[in-house]
Amino acid sequence: MLTYDILIVGSGGAGLYAALESRMEEDLQVGVLTKVYPTRSHTGAAQGGVNAALANLDPTDTWQDHWFDTVKGSDYLADQDAAEIMTREAPMVVREMEHWGCPFSRTDEGKIAQRPFGGASKPRACFSADKVGHVMLHTLYEQGIRHGVNFLNEWQVLSLMHDGQRCQGVTAINTQTGRVHTIQAKAVILATGGHGRIYWTRTSNALGNTGDGTAIAYRAGLPIKDMEFIQFHPTGLRRTGILVSEGARGEGGFLLNGLGERFMSRYAPEKMELGPRDLVSRSCETEVREGRAGPEGEVFLDLTHLGRERILERLPQIRELCIEFEGVDPIEEPIPIKPTAHYSMGGIHTDLNGQTSIEGIYAAGEAGCVSVHGANRLGGNSLLDILIFGRRAGKHALEYARNNSFVPVDTGQEEADTQMIASMMEGDSGASIADIRRAMGNLMAEKVGVYRNGKDLESAVSELADLQEQFKTVRIQDKTKAFNTELVAALELKNMLDLAEVVAVGALERKESRGAHTREDHPERDDENWLAHTMAAMGDDGRPKLDFSPVTITEFEPKARTY
Amino acid sequence: MIEKITPDRKSILANIRIQRFTPSEHKSAYFDNFKVNVETGMTVLEALRLIKNTQDSSLTFRAFCRSKICGSCAVRVNGKPVLACSTQLMPILEDFKKDSVSIQPLKNMPVLRDLVVDIEPVIEKLSKMHPYLMENRERIPETLEQESIMSKQEHSRFDYITDCILCGSCYSACSAVDADPSYAGPLTLGKAYRFSADVRDDFKGERMQAAVDQGLWSCAQCRKCINVCPKDTRPAVSIQRMRKMSIDDGIHDTAGSRRAKAYTGDVAKYGQVNKPMLPVIVNGPKGWAAIEAADNYLKKHGIEPTRQVCTLGGQSSTQKIYDKVKELEAKGENKT
Amino acid sequence: MSEKIRYGFYSGCCFQGADARFFDILRDVFAKVDVELDLIEDAVCCGSGVIEERSELTSLAVNAKNMAHAEQMGLPLYTPCSTCYNVISNAQKRMKEDPAVHAQVNEILAEQGMEYKGTCKLTHTLWVFAQDVGLDKLKERVTNPLTGLRVASYYGCHTRNPADIQGYESADNPTSLEDILEVLGVQIVEYDTKDDCCGYHLAWPNNDLNMKMTSNVLEGAHTKDVDLMVTSCPLCFKSMDGTQAKALAQTGKNFQLPVLFLPELVGLACGMTSEDMMLKYHGVPVNLRL
Repeated sequence: MLTYDILIVGSGGAGLYAALESRMEEDLQVGVLTKVYPTRSHTGAAQGGVNAALANLDPTDTWQDHWFDTVKGSDYLADQDAAEIMTREAPMVVREMEHWGCPFSRTDEGKIAQRPFGGASKPRACFSADKVGHVMLHTLYEQGIRHGVNFLNEWQVLSLMHDGQRCQGVTAINTQTGRVHTIQAKAVILATGGHGRIYWTRTSNALGNTGDGTAIAYRAGLPIKDMEFIQFHPTGLRRTGILVSEGARGEGGFLLNGLGERFMSRYAPEKMELGPRDLVSRSCETEVREGRAGPEGEVFLDLTHLGRERILERLPQIRELCIEFEGVDPIEEPIPIKPTAHYSMGGIHTDLNGQTSIEGIYAAGEAGCVSVHGANRLGGNSLLDILIFGRRAGKHALEYARNNSFVPVDTGQEEADTQMIASMMEGDSGASIADIRRAMGNLMAEKVGVYRNGKDLESAVSELADLQEQFKTVRIQDKTKAFNTELVAALELKNMLDLAEVVAVGALERKESRGAHTREDHPERDDENWLAHTMAAMGDDGRPKLDFSPVTITEFEPKARTY
Repeated sequence: MIEKITPDRKSILANIRIQRFTPSEHKSAYFDNFKVNVETGMTVLEALRLIKNTQDSSLTFRAFCRSKICGSCAVRVNGKPVLACSTQLMPILEDFKKDSVSIQPLKNMPVLRDLVVDIEPVIEKLSKMHPYLMENRERIPETLEQESIMSKQEHSRFDYITDCILCGSCYSACSAVDADPSYAGPLTLGKAYRFSADVRDDFKGERMQAAVDQGLWSCAQCRKCINVCPKDTRPAVSIQRMRKMSIDDGIHDTAGSRRAKAYTGDVAKYGQVNKPMLPVIVNGPKGWAAIEAADNYLKKHGIEPTRQVCTLGGQSSTQKIYDKVKELEAKGENKT
Repeated sequence: MSEKIRYGFYSGCCFQGADARFFDILRDVFAKVDVELDLIEDAVCCGSGVIEERSELTSLAVNAKNMAHAEQMGLPLYTPCSTCYNVISNAQKRMKEDPAVHAQVNEILAEQGMEYKGTCKLTHTLWVFAQDVGLDKLKERVTNPLTGLRVASYYGCHTRNPADIQGYESADNPTSLEDILEVLGVQIVEYDTKDDCCGYHLAWPNNDLNMKMTSNVLEGAHTKDVDLMVTSCPLCFKSMDGTQAKALAQTGKNFQLPVLFLPELVGLACGMTSEDMMLKYHGVPVNLRL
């Protein structure tokens, strides 16, 4: 049995920041378990910026402005005490990253450069060209090497263990050997990222953003929060869901339907393609629903009228991306696009220190939900969230581990997990992982996607139950123990099916439209009935039981959200 | 308009040859052939995933972000290291004028299974290079009330290397690593330069020693690493710059640094490298053995040995270039 | 008689000592295909990529000067040396991408009344034969097809890497060398180490490694039972031929693989003799049944 004082599951920004924070005191054993290598984590894919009111560009910017922007952006579902902490501490963590070597772009005076971002009243997104998440992730990893953080690379977490009050540890499989292990830990920090992959091909997320930490917490009886809120981005590439940034529309790109019509004239005749992200996503989706899509259910982002020179000069990276990932040269032809699931606002319910309802179990980053993003996350706040709450969880876990002893752990879970895997590896026939995944992704995109309504959501819930039944018959064809990626795919699918159900049930229950959650049958925000967090816990029958808890409002009374 | 919206897409029934190997089951690697309908737009990764989903679920490869930023999915396609996620198949089929393409794991690392290699050895080499910033307190404030000040120009000295995603493509392509497994390889030296070139760092001496010890002078400057890097981080250029730093600091006297000084001095003096005398210039008195061997070789073929440098015509004007560069550098105006 | 193709000839540093013979060989072989070389009189050594280890700006200025001379002559710059090609191409690319650097280099050249405009075209032996002379004309001039010879073709690295200095063909799948060889009539043999580097530029800083790398490449070809290796790079030629005995001895291998510099093989196919090509100067004896 492996033993750590603190085990961090996940090696993105939240996990690594937590590891560094807890590793600064050298007498504790801290381990980071990750299903990839740390620098592969999805934090690296964040391009735009990390928000902090440094006031380097606009001297009038304050953290209070940032606080308000965050709360307003959340459609007033964020807990204002949490948002206050995040925005107040933001300049400090960004500077800490900088002191650790993070190569932010610079202003003419040599300070950290900042730029304007959607939903922000002042230019406060600190950036490094178009790779800020990447350089932050690498900086944290580099400092992790310096401070001797232990990594368990390519391990897949299986189960979370506690005695009803306190943390015991986890079980996990070492992918490289195929062996299941019990890992005892005083404290476990779940920092496994989001679950955008429940939309399978209809997401910008990495292949591994399957909500593993959220799912094991849910199965271990911990409440998960606000799961129905999923942010969509209007312009993902058709084949892969990879984002084509807003720059392409800013530069004058047209959105066309399959008939070649510039359809935004129907939805936003003034702003046209430059309408807000959610409106553009809904407009694209409407074209598809009303039968005006291209041959593969896509619409098009057309840049051809801008001409070769302008595209080469102003949008070279977007052009490269389209050629490399879609095989389409935007100089020659329109880019096929679909709205794509981008960010999971919901996650494991935690307090302001990242602690869950079980002592010693923490969650941070996209896997957790404090909540600072409420119903809709602002651009530049996800990287900030992982730093602030990764750090807080790390600090608090350190205190906890210092003041508490190990809780005895029995090996029953390891046996059960080993048995579960063995039975999946036995036999040949059964449903195919690929088929179930595809069906799950399609039904989530169609029925629990940009638009939702009661009828579709009900049918989604029942179809997901069918898929869960089918999943029980899945058998792994690959019988080799070492590096069995088919087994990993099955374990991830199990996690996604559990979470997809919670998303669909939450969306069905929430009879209003707020932030990223749009109900065609309940188009208005309803503060009287729904200014509340959805808390889902797994019932005895394995189905989610919902509960609602109040939103913390300290400073800003809910108002209509207009820009 | 409609034609423009749905352009013609090519499609070829291609043979995808994939190298397979499971150490516990096979004695050596072998190839499996898969037929895949390759269409315009299909990446290598999509083909691999299609094969795994529909033809052979045991096919093993790594992939994560699908968007050229995580570095998981590097493989060799027709021998060249690429990221599977950002490499289109159709242009490769067209370039090689074949309807077959081979996919293999990266070289210079042990294969764990099929296309998955063990990158631990690379990470270990990287770790020994002190690949992190050590605070230079003249630049980095003690408290978090302020950030450090670093000019755009100072930042640009190393910014291009921070694109590195540790995918291992350069390491796979490096013939020096192949011949000498103890050599640190391009990406690790690139990272060493990234920190040494950072004005906020205060650890240059030890890191430089680590770089020298791990093969700063083992790079042949073949520049394949520049060719294969999916993020254009130009490791060979960083190695040249790191070498310059090691010479500038005056501590690390090596055969390589002596060569650099000799070439630079010779070109100023003769407009040409003094090849006949190079062995002694670089290796000291023991270089005479090589000169004598060369002399004997020439005599054997009836050629009279000479100590004369075979100058090129431009020698008279070269010194002017050097003087002017020196003048610009003294004024801090060097724009490279 | 067809019209001559002319180049500004930049010889580099490699044809010194016994290799000085290549000046004559190159001129004679090129004459067979109507190519004339006009020596760039005021050239300076390209620095071999080593001057960068002291001063990148110096290297750029030196090579801008070389190109400026070719511009004045109104001819493309031809160099037989792959490293010269690589270093000069890189300088060209660097100045094209960074106008401020280009301007500073010209400020330096102005001291000697020169200017690098950025119009100079660069080429190399491979593309002289395959593109400018053309395979058709080359075929016409082949009077002694080398039928039956099993040949390992070796480009070396510096005309291929990085890809974007390479304006003539795919860097990942170049074919010019094989296209030329096919015209000469030989049988081309594939081998595993074809894309590996011979390590020539480690001869001084790390000679042992240079020997290992050279030995690796040679062995890859040798195991395919070839009659000879042909390379378009004169520095690879030095590694493969001149230091072959040492490289193989140091790595415990025991064979001899004749290595030819591409112009030599072209000369032989165009009816020139082993004596004309001065093959006796090779480190590894060349006894071809021609």
